[in-house]
Amino acid sequence: MKFIPKKPREGINVSDVHPLAEASTLIVGLIAIFIAIVLLLIFIIEVALYFVPARTEAELFADWMPEDLMTVSPGDERLYQTQLLVDRLASHWAEAPYKFRVEVDDSELANAMALPGGLIIVTQGLLDEVESENELAFVLGHELGHFRNRDHLRALGRGIVISLFFAVITGNDVAGLGIKATDIALRGFSREQESKADEFGLAVVQAEYGHVHQASRLFERWDDADDNTRAFITYLSTHPQPGDRVDNLRAVAHRDGWRADGQITPLKWQ
Amino acid sequence: MAPRFESHDMEDTVENVNLFFNYGLPLLLLVVAYLIGSFIEKRHFASIREREDDLHGFPVVSFDTMPDDWKVSSSDMVTGSIVISLDYFKRVIAGLRGLIGGRIKTYEPLLERARREALLRMSESARKQGYDAVFNVRLETSRLANAARDGKGTAGVEMLAFGTAVKFASRFG
Repeated sequence: MKFIPKKPREGINVSDVHPLAEASTLIVGLIAIFIAIVLLLIFIIEVALYFVPARTEAELFADWMPEDLMTVSPGDERLYQTQLLVDRLASHWAEAPYKFRVEVDDSELANAMALPGGLIIVTQGLLDEVESENELAFVLGHELGHFRNRDHLRALGRGIVISLFFAVITGNDVAGLGIKATDIALRGFSREQESKADEFGLAVVQAEYGHVHQASRLFERWDDADDNTRAFITYLSTHPQPGDRVDNLRAVAHRDGWRADGQITPLKWQ
Repeated sequence: MAPRFESHDMEDTVENVNLFFNYGLPLLLLVVAYLIGSFIEKRHFASIREREDDLHGFPVVSFDTMPDDWKVSSSDMVTGSIVISLDYFKRVIAGLRGLIGGRIKTYEPLLERARREALLRMSESARKQGYDAVFNVRLETSRLANAARDGKGTAGVEMLAFGTAVKFASRFG
């Protein structure tokens, strides 16, 4: 046997693919798959919502409370009065499946949110901002509107599903998902959902007071506020811009022939 | 609950810093790792080819028995080993590949380099010691665990080439 020297052959064990080509194929492909899965999950939530009636939800979440909520003392006058106001407003929504609970978060940042099981959270910052009961009633009525359209559950469901999906992908533990889900729930509503909630809120105010005077005055003030003040209004990061809302509300009131003048009810704790 | 910030500016700054640490830094690392990694790889392949040319004609075979016409005066075991690590870019791309499966193409040149380098080191060592050929050549590989993640991560791989080097009594009959 004769030894014939040969050079090692190349290209057998190494794929002839540029690493950047491989990287971009993978990244683009995975993003597409990711988007498809998220859309599918959102669709599943919609289907699930259809099959979980509001009454079941109200029972399921009857005592539920986000873990990171810092509530004021249960004997707080403003908490008591706000709860009374919500009860009065809710009485105009006869078939409401929820027993609405109000909690006051001790944050200085003005905000209000609707959470599963009929839990309405308002911040101390918001209670400091409102100048009449009519203003507060509209904000609360708006949140009632979210319950009626079940937006709160939709956003929360999305939040949970998406953070769960992330947890699976990145391998993080599932702890702390609730907080993230709440966070996403805060900013999850679409423009359409918001204006529907606004219309409902205004109808509730009209039913309670017989007019819609000053219902949107809070937003008029916020619209005029400078940026420095606005930083304290997280409400604006999770709700539409105040200027647009005021215009919409005026149009709705005009359409339905609701009076834009009338007696203003002062806040009970003032 | 809503994050609490002192002012708008502060909020922006915190947001930007978070954004940088969460996305900017890994991305920067990825680009740097790719540039350095591919430079090193290119240089290594060039060196491998050059040394293979240099060793051209030195018999390195995998027969486990010696050909009959090899008249041998002395023999010894020779080894060549290399420990090679992956860069961050390869690791990330392989991680993405790991989600869906398939050929991890970014690892292929890495292992190719390891195999050829190990064989080269073995052959160079044999020639340096005055041997004329190496037969019964085998390759072994083992994973080096990374202590940082409880030994779950991979620090690199070792590629070991070994064989029996022989000195001929007379050159090829």
